[in-house]
Amino acid sequence: MGRQPKGEADRVHDRIAVLRADRGVSRRELAEAVGVHPQTIGYVERGEYSPSLALALRMARFFDLPVEAIFSLDPLPSLSQELLRRTS
Amino acid sequence: MSISPEQTSLSRTFDDDRWTRARTRPVRRRAALAEVALLAALVAATVAAATTDDGWPAWSFVAWTVGMLAFIPLHSVLNAGIRGLFDRSGRSLDEHQQRLRDRSVVAVAWPATALHLAAWIGGVTVVGVSGHVVPALCLGFLLWFAAGLLPYWHLAWTAPDEPADADLDG
Repeated sequence: MGRQPKGEADRVHDRIAVLRADRGVSRRELAEAVGVHPQTIGYVERGEYSPSLALALRMARFFDLPVEAIFSLDPLPSLSQELLRRTS
Repeated sequence: MSISPEQTSLSRTFDDDRWTRARTRPVRRRAALAEVALLAALVAATVAAATTDDGWPAWSFVAWTVGMLAFIPLHSVLNAGIRGLFDRSGRSLDEHQQRLRDRSVVAVAWPATALHLAAWIGGVTVVGVSGHVVPALCLGFLLWFAAGLLPYWHLAWTAPDEPADADLDG
């Protein structure tokens, strides 16, 4: 089971909102696909809930990405910055 | 096999969008405070009744009837505000909801134990001092009832605000 982070240093950062926008997926659709309530997706996106390993893996499978591309213990750089870095 | 939480009739009721207003933090907190105040008033009325000659005067019966009737809509609002997490089957909750429920149960474990103890001590004390059994039973019931409600109050007070509905569709 996941947990609520105790502070900013304990937070798990994620790219779920960006990926949802990119793929045109609503919270409700993602929630149904990974087996949680839509509110839980919102809490994860807001950094108020760190998902369990099983939930993180299900999200990674849904987006067809490695889990470390979606979740990180450090703040994630924006996708545009990363693209710029890779192409330059 | 589905990994989604099971949809029970109770979960459909508590997840109904008509309860959205009750799920805001101010409403949840006001409902919790109102329940605490109601139970405290009933405890005071019960103790006051125990000090009378007959131990169960007509006014205490009226107070209890009014109090218990008022409790029904009040608890409905509070329970809707926390999506009925304590009343629903565990199978209808996802991991975050189970986490919220467990956190509140653990957080109030000691106060709930103290209230259970107070229910016994209070009841025995009322009988010992006044000799009236009915108010002693009522006092014991109220404190035992409050112990059971502590997780509801804790969750209603501490649960974070839910993401706005507009976010759910975006």
